[in-house]
Amino acid sequence: MLLLWLVFAIWPESFEDAFGRKKIFLNALLNGITLGALYFLVASGFTLIFGLMRNVNLAHGSLYLLGGYIGFEIAEWTGSWLFSFVVAFVAVALVGIVLQYVVFRRMEGQELRQTLVTIGISIVLADLMLWTWGGDFYQILTPEWLSGPVETFFVTAIRSSGEPVYLTYPFVRLLILLASLILGIGMWLVLGRTRIGVLIRAGVDDRDMLAASGVRIQLVFLGVFAFGAGLAGMAGVVGGTFQSLAPGEDIRFLLASLVVVIVGGMGSIPGAALGAVLIGLAEQFGSVYVPTYAVVFTFLIMVLVLAFRPQGLLSNR
Amino acid sequence: MATARPAVQDRARPLDVSTRLGNWLRRIPPAAWGVGFLLLILPAFANDFILVQVFGWSLILGMIALSLMFLAGYGGMVSLVQMTVAGCAGYMLAIFGTSAIASISLGWPWWLAVLTAILIATLFGTLSGALAVRTAGIYTIMITLAIAAAFFYFTRQNYTIFNGFSGFNGVRPPVVLGVDWRQPTPFYYLTLVCAALSYAAVLYVSRSPFGLALQGTRDNPRRMAALGFNVTAHRIAAYTFASVFAAVAGILLVWLNSQISPGTAGIGPVIDVLVIAVVGGLGSPIGPFIGAIIYVVLRTFALDALVAVGLDGARFQLLIGLGFLAIVFFSPDGVLGLWERARNRWRHRQDVMRIGEETR
Amino acid sequence: MATSVAERLHAASTASALELRGVTRMFGALAALTDVTLSVRPGERRALLGSNGAGKTTLFNCITGDFPPTSGTIRFFGEDITGFPPHERIRRGLRRTYQISLLFAGLSVLDNVYLACRGVSRARFSLLRPRRDDTLVQTADDLVEAVHLSAVKNQKVAELAHGQQRQLEIALALAGAPRFILFDEPAAGLSPAERRELIAILTGLPEHIGYIIIEHDMDVALRVVESVAIMHNGRIFKEGPPEEIENDPEVQELYLGGGHG
Repeated sequence: MLLLWLVFAIWPESFEDAFGRKKIFLNALLNGITLGALYFLVASGFTLIFGLMRNVNLAHGSLYLLGGYIGFEIAEWTGSWLFSFVVAFVAVALVGIVLQYVVFRRMEGQELRQTLVTIGISIVLADLMLWTWGGDFYQILTPEWLSGPVETFFVTAIRSSGEPVYLTYPFVRLLILLASLILGIGMWLVLGRTRIGVLIRAGVDDRDMLAASGVRIQLVFLGVFAFGAGLAGMAGVVGGTFQSLAPGEDIRFLLASLVVVIVGGMGSIPGAALGAVLIGLAEQFGSVYVPTYAVVFTFLIMVLVLAFRPQGLLSNR
Repeated sequence: MATARPAVQDRARPLDVSTRLGNWLRRIPPAAWGVGFLLLILPAFANDFILVQVFGWSLILGMIALSLMFLAGYGGMVSLVQMTVAGCAGYMLAIFGTSAIASISLGWPWWLAVLTAILIATLFGTLSGALAVRTAGIYTIMITLAIAAAFFYFTRQNYTIFNGFSGFNGVRPPVVLGVDWRQPTPFYYLTLVCAALSYAAVLYVSRSPFGLALQGTRDNPRRMAALGFNVTAHRIAAYTFASVFAAVAGILLVWLNSQISPGTAGIGPVIDVLVIAVVGGLGSPIGPFIGAIIYVVLRTFALDALVAVGLDGARFQLLIGLGFLAIVFFSPDGVLGLWERARNRWRHRQDVMRIGEETR
Repeated sequence: MATSVAERLHAASTASALELRGVTRMFGALAALTDVTLSVRPGERRALLGSNGAGKTTLFNCITGDFPPTSGTIRFFGEDITGFPPHERIRRGLRRTYQISLLFAGLSVLDNVYLACRGVSRARFSLLRPRRDDTLVQTADDLVEAVHLSAVKNQKVAELAHGQQRQLEIALALAGAPRFILFDEPAAGLSPAERRELIAILTGLPEHIGYIIIEHDMDVALRVVESVAIMHNGRIFKEGPPEEIENDPEVQELYLGGGHG
């Protein structure tokens, strides 16, 4: 209730003196949600991979950054923002296929060893990317037809003439939010309704049963890993547009994925969504209102979840 | 349990310390005596740089990796928070002791600052363990990594306590008992003694009731509970034990570098400690130290080696990553594992040759 | 005077060692255990029989605390242990062996038994302090001898033969001062000679130690117990002394006729 009032009502002046302008609040709110959308894109791939294959893919952040860099190159080369998405997805998915086929397949069942390998891969990838693209910040430019703010229906203040002032917000961010929603719902539907989705979920609960049902389990693994990796790659393009690409972003998004799935619950897409939104909001509000302690917010949420519900908020374990 | 109990006097009861010590000393292999001797006389023929920056650093990193090895090898818990515990200790020492940042450092007497730092860092390690142990094995890596990251970001953002990006400098060892411990040779011996004590402690504890129980919780936690052990409490206690010498190492580290900053316990070093422990071998307490010396030697001389091969010297991380991958692929129990297998093969060949001769 | 003391002793000895009342366990919609009620006296030896899936191991899991019952109570020597974690139940004298040996593969036989002795030793917090405790090693040694494993006491468990592992499994249950033991198919996979030895060990246990034994081998089971309970579909189907159960027509039908599940 309080939240609804905060969002939709006009803030009285005294309130604003105490808490800052409503515009800042709304901006932080929307930034948090859209950042959450970005985190969701990355984390959902991570949680899919772990959920089915028990592989903690610590190279996921590197895949994100790789996708971003590739997207940047394609965008530069062809000038098409949308096309760079496709290429990034495919390219990183291919890398994922190679990894799964060449590496992880040989280590079936050895979770720790797989995880160590992903660490090694992330070190190698990080250095190769540093070598290729250097330490500069890369920014993918938003295409013309998407850039620019759009008027939303959130009211920030009343002008002296009595006219309400609406909050303007970058269109591209809203678009990404919408796309993530669609993607998330799509994944949820696929996992819940389609045959392949049911198989994957069954595999999450009982791998032997999946193998016994005659499905080529390695193909399923390949597909899931490729899709998860591709998601990360696409998220890289998004991140390159919203923010920027540079060495260190891989670690940042890996950690974000970790925290999101710790909070939301491993192997759960809705959990990833919930965790992503929570963490996105925590980060944004933290950086706006308590800059030197922003990290504490995120960390606090994680600690609370670990203390009281260690398996994650929406985990069905 | 109806069999008669043999008379107590029949058992070899080591009544006096000397026989017990004698038995123990006799079991140390000659190779270990050789290495130990070399380490002791090292200052006689090594220059200051080698002494402190190579061996001193190796011993310190080895201690931190030992902390990880204890939890991973004996407890089955791969914890990435050990380097962070060391960093925490270093920071606490800077904050409670003396440093160049007079506005934050409290300037307590050195022994009090050291004690406080170790205490706080151990507490931090214990709490991290408490968060990490209630979930299944593979989550431990994730949770401890997240905690390590949180610590890194927090120390980088916070200026009132941790002085943010720049951290603390001017943190030096004190002059105690007439010896200036800042000098290379005394500092080297200090790290050597600390590392040796940590090593001995881990070796001793591994065969103690606590260590055995820890290995039990690694092999079969369900059975341990069914034998009356509180598995969770045991695991947390393991974190406490491991955090103690990680904390000591952290203090030595900040003294080594005279400074500490967020990057000291950043994600890079955190992962590096894991690499060191795995490369050396998680099977025995000497593994971490082997891994550490390999890492430090590579780190120190790789620049020249890489350039000699025609590669850019900055590609050090690539080397580390590839080497790590190679080890995980071909010898998951690290260099120690390679050594064990080579030794077994050599012994086997010796046996075969001997049998061949005998049957001639 | 003597009579009233005897009466009092009699009253004390009829208090049950293990008492289950209305124990039910649901797994989702599946009722693994339904309204199980039984009472075992201290020192009583009982067999728990039934076809696969009847719920015998689930019942054991409930008693040892692997999971709580959905409803009902469990009392151990008069104490309500329904909500206790496993290690608390063990410390009160309950022990258990497993169908598939749960041993510490990386440790030696002696170490395994030593851990078992350690787990129930009174000085609990000395678990945390690294010390060499000679008396417990002695006890462990004796126990290893009692189950005839002295010859291999320093070998790693992974190197033992199956029968030896089962013997070790039993040794773990005998550590400390057990008051009541749950044996889950101790004869599984044993040779005839090993079975005879098992029977000797079971019948040779001190009188105050009671046990419940799940077993498919009727020869072993009926020879080491004084009463039998049959489970079927999660319920106690019948109870009584061995001879009665052996000759009961309903039981025979269950095992020879429609025994399924």
